Amino acid sequence: MKKTKLIEIASARSGDKNNVCNIGLMAKSPEFYAVLKEKVTSEKVKEHFKDLIKGPVIRHEWDAIESLNFICNQALDGGASRSLRMDTLGKNFSSHLLRMEIEIEG
Amino acid sequence: MTKYSIKIAGAQGFYGDSPRAAIQIAKEKGADYLVIDSLAELTLSILQKDKLTDEKLGYARDIELMASTLFPIAFKNGIKIVTNSGGLNPEVAAKKVAALLEKQGIKGIKIAVITGDNLLPQLGEMQQAGLVLENMDNCLPLSSSSFEITHANVYTGAHTIAEALDKGADLILAGRVADPCLTLGILIHHFKWKLEGNLEQHDLDKLASGIAVGHLLECGGQASGGNSYAEWPMDYSISNLGYPIAEVFEDGSAIFSKLESQGGKVSRNTIREQLIYEIHDPANYITPDVIVDFTAVKIEEIAANKVRFSSIKGKPRPDKLKLSIGLMEGYMSDQFMFFSWPYAFEKANRFIETVKEIWAKLPVKIERAEFSLIGINGIHGSAAPLPAKEVLDEMNEIGVRLVIKHNDLRTGKMAMQSIICLGLNGPPGLIGIPGWGKTDRLMLSLWPTLIPREWVKEKVEIIES
Repeated sequence: MKKTKLIEIASARSGDKNNVCNIGLMAKSPEFYAVLKEKVTSEKVKEHFKDLIKGPVIRHEWDAIESLNFICNQALDGGASRSLRMDTLGKNFSSHLLRMEIEIEG
Repeated sequence: MTKYSIKIAGAQGFYGDSPRAAIQIAKEKGADYLVIDSLAELTLSILQKDKLTDEKLGYARDIELMASTLFPIAFKNGIKIVTNSGGLNPEVAAKKVAALLEKQGIKGIKIAVITGDNLLPQLGEMQQAGLVLENMDNCLPLSSSSFEITHANVYTGAHTIAEALDKGADLILAGRVADPCLTLGILIHHFKWKLEGNLEQHDLDKLASGIAVGHLLECGGQASGGNSYAEWPMDYSISNLGYPIAEVFEDGSAIFSKLESQGGKVSRNTIREQLIYEIHDPANYITPDVIVDFTAVKIEEIAANKVRFSSIKGKPRPDKLKLSIGLMEGYMSDQFMFFSWPYAFEKANRFIETVKEIWAKLPVKIERAEFSLIGINGIHGSAAPLPAKEVLDEMNEIGVRLVIKHNDLRTGKMAMQSIICLGLNGPPGLIGIPGWGKTDRLMLSLWPTLIPREWVKEKVEIIES
């Protein structure tokens, strides 16, 4: 097993709906999609974002496009129009998720 | 005769986006329709700030620039334009555009104005009728909020767009028509798809496909290689990024492409990453006209910059519509300062401690204050890993961002003025940049809720330039 960052095996895009941020995590290949499904759980995502995400994280599997979609609740400091953060829209939740480390065979 | 297929281009992705790509599409007759989505969720709050300063504002003001750049070329080439740029004030926007077109000698353009999404006048009546207008995020009733209500607009569906086109509109200026419904309305008009009444599964699938196409077009360049980790390092021009063009067929399937003369890229990756953008459950994407199931979607590259998109399923529309209520929550003010090597990290932290001491003694109330270090945790806050001490000690420079929330106009100015003295009294080498930081920005928050659709009555009116 070796450690790898998600950016090596996936890409991501995130956005906002009021106080909810969704992060789409797209595998670079079907093989990597299987790895993402096994290793990148909603619990792991919630923990990776520390107190940026206050509510539960829900994971949707989207096999047709080899992607996982994470719905992060209470994640945007109340929503873009009232947030005091720099990343008011959560556009860089994608970036931070890609920094997550997982163990893969290799 | 109904054309076998129809081309729709995403002309703008947000209020403030450049019309450059769309102008080129219009020049090359690269599409039959241009869809301009100006209303991100946050945009109505921005437009409301304009409207509070002047009753005659409240629409996306870049429509004025487009009226003298993009629109004349589009109309000359027989291209129709569908947009929700009317924002909170579609009637005023239409008059403005009509006047600008007339000034250029362009006559006979039919402009449709779509209203009815503004439910501010009905809020009291709704509550009296027993609607608690529960917040979708925190489940609280609207009565629990003490903030002043600034606007209340409901996300509406595609039927008004189809109706306006049926009446011969060249330009449609709508308010809060849901982003993808702008596109769906065009397809309903063109292919005579069935929207209401007894819908068969194939009817629902077509509507769902129309929403999916609209979703892929509504963010402009984000579907054609912009903002892309999937295509990073983006080995194509992004300075003249081409915007997505969908050729849609009667069965709802589509081929996405872009102009060859422009930069960007349309690939399975760029379509995939826009498809997942701001979607929650991919099996249940709720829109006013249909609930979309994207889970069986097929995205195939059929040639360079040509992607076939199909297999979208639909379920009957929801009983309720989403109402977005704006609340005046107060103000926010921020400021930026910078420190260089040596001791950049220590100096920045000492600066923050000192600001906290000064602010604690102010005779005004700061509701909330946040401090972050640009270069360390400005974007990701506590989730950002702190670099090792050796790295921190040798940092070339670190920025400090201070931001506060306050309830009156006096507080922001006083708080920021109270720390100016640190330029001479504070840690050595403090850099402040004149003009940076803004005091007293209005903080308008959103209260999303669901209401029965019976409360919504839209209207289509046509004016002519």
